[in-house]
Amino acid sequence: MNDLANTDLSGMQHAPMATSEIMEQHVDALSQEAVKVDIRRLNFFYGQAQALFEVSLPVAKNAVTAIVGPSGCGKSTLLRVINRMYALYPGQRAEGEVLLDGQNTLSRSTDLAWLRSRVGMVFQQSTPFPMSIFDNVAFGVRLYETLGKSELAARVEESLRRAALWEEVKDKLDRSALGLSGGQQQRLCVARSVAVHPEVLLLDEPASALDPISTAKLEETIVELKPDIAIAIVTHNLQQAARVSDHTAFMFLGQLVEYGPTERVFNNPRTRRAADYITGRFG
Amino acid sequence: MNGSLDIFSRRNRRRFANMLFVATCTLATLMALLALAAILASLLRNGFGSLNLAVFTQDTPPPGVAGGLRNAILGSVLMCVGAMILAVALGMLAGTWLAEYSRDSWYAKTVRFVNDVLLSAPSILVGLFVYEVAVRPLHSFSGIAGALALALIAAPIIARTTEDVLRLQARSLREAGVGLGAPVWVTIRRILWKSAAGGILTGALLAFARISGETAPLLFTSLNNQFFNLNMLKPIANLPVTIFSFALSAYEDWRHLAWAGALLIAISVLGINTLVRILSARGQA
Repeated sequence: MNDLANTDLSGMQHAPMATSEIMEQHVDALSQEAVKVDIRRLNFFYGQAQALFEVSLPVAKNAVTAIVGPSGCGKSTLLRVINRMYALYPGQRAEGEVLLDGQNTLSRSTDLAWLRSRVGMVFQQSTPFPMSIFDNVAFGVRLYETLGKSELAARVEESLRRAALWEEVKDKLDRSALGLSGGQQQRLCVARSVAVHPEVLLLDEPASALDPISTAKLEETIVELKPDIAIAIVTHNLQQAARVSDHTAFMFLGQLVEYGPTERVFNNPRTRRAADYITGRFG
Repeated sequence: MNGSLDIFSRRNRRRFANMLFVATCTLATLMALLALAAILASLLRNGFGSLNLAVFTQDTPPPGVAGGLRNAILGSVLMCVGAMILAVALGMLAGTWLAEYSRDSWYAKTVRFVNDVLLSAPSILVGLFVYEVAVRPLHSFSGIAGALALALIAAPIIARTTEDVLRLQARSLREAGVGLGAPVWVTIRRILWKSAAGGILTGALLAFARISGETAPLLFTSLNNQFFNLNMLKPIANLPVTIFSFALSAYEDWRHLAWAGALLIAISVLGINTLVRILSARGQA
């Protein structure tokens, strides 16, 4: 249960740099209307160990925001705050604000199931449910909507098409999802998340276990989803971040070091750390 | 030269030790299998000879009269089914709570410890306990009390296996369910239980195999009944106690019936095991 605290964040207790200064200098502002999720001065703790320090980051509407940085810098932690996945585990807590359309999701009164139906998540390892392909995609839909048989089938097809999986599975929707290949399983997870029509989609290193062809398909899918869904993607693959994202956030030791349009951050990083990381001098 | 010789002999020694280990393991396995084979052989030899239609159509006879085991078979089925319904419900919920909700609190550790103690509790104690709580207050041995005693033996086994297999399920599977907006209990019920079904089923089968041959707890609870009875509030016949009393009797007919009963228990446990394995394998594919 607590292995996240142990593996993810070695050395997180280091005292932070003067965070707010870095923030003000190197974060390009977004206009308020363009922001879907606004993270403000977020601190996060695994028990006693602090993992995020005063992180402020916008996730833009109709855009892909990539979060990059070396292992253990808090990327996944940040993602898991947005849908409050951390709330499953005792001892993990967040301070600050995460505004979803202006509403603070960190407040006690937030209905977590409802929040997570609006903010979908795809994980590093594919997690097909032990049921048919159709039922996998319909699972979330059935929780919140009462659709007729044909409507549900249409929704499943639409979702599988958006995840670029339909052609491969349309003749075996009633087969177990566990029989799909790794890449197909991951796209199934995307389809499953997309099926509930979320407003935000969180991708936690979704392609790290995939071969190049599956990765390319997944990236296409991400770009296709962009017009409707605000996407935040954590990735170790800088080329991937450059390919799919509009905005890039660079994190280091639990702090946000730099944020801005992807092109700017990659071509003209303003901080030494981001420059070193992007050019491969460390990390 | 010297060095290579040394290596050579060491390698030989190691090879010999390895052979010795494998041989010992094989021998031990063989001994266990031999014992099992001997039991099965005597069961088949004696049981099949005594098995006939009358075993299923007639009730347990008085000495010297031809008869069957109909009442005992029905009583056993009734009590085992009742016990399994109770034990699966109780055991699965308890195991689920221990794995998913308890968060390793002090209370959870106590519950887990007590469950482990119950797992290895002598069944005769369980019988005595149920005798005190369900037989004496009602002034009657009964099928209900028998089912209760069997359930108390089966439930800890199911609770334990349920907890173990649920803990084996990937954390990401839980998070994926919850991440779609499913409440935790829906995630458990619709995804985790399904994913763990094979293991839970195995636990339930183990429990069933265990209780289907239990005699001691029934002696104090359902007792026995020479006559046909489906009233669970009354003493009810059952295979284990019938086998117990018939096998030790002086009457040839009774001993034959005891063998037939023993064979029936063995066949039913084996049959249900096989059937469920086939079904679950088909479900997975």
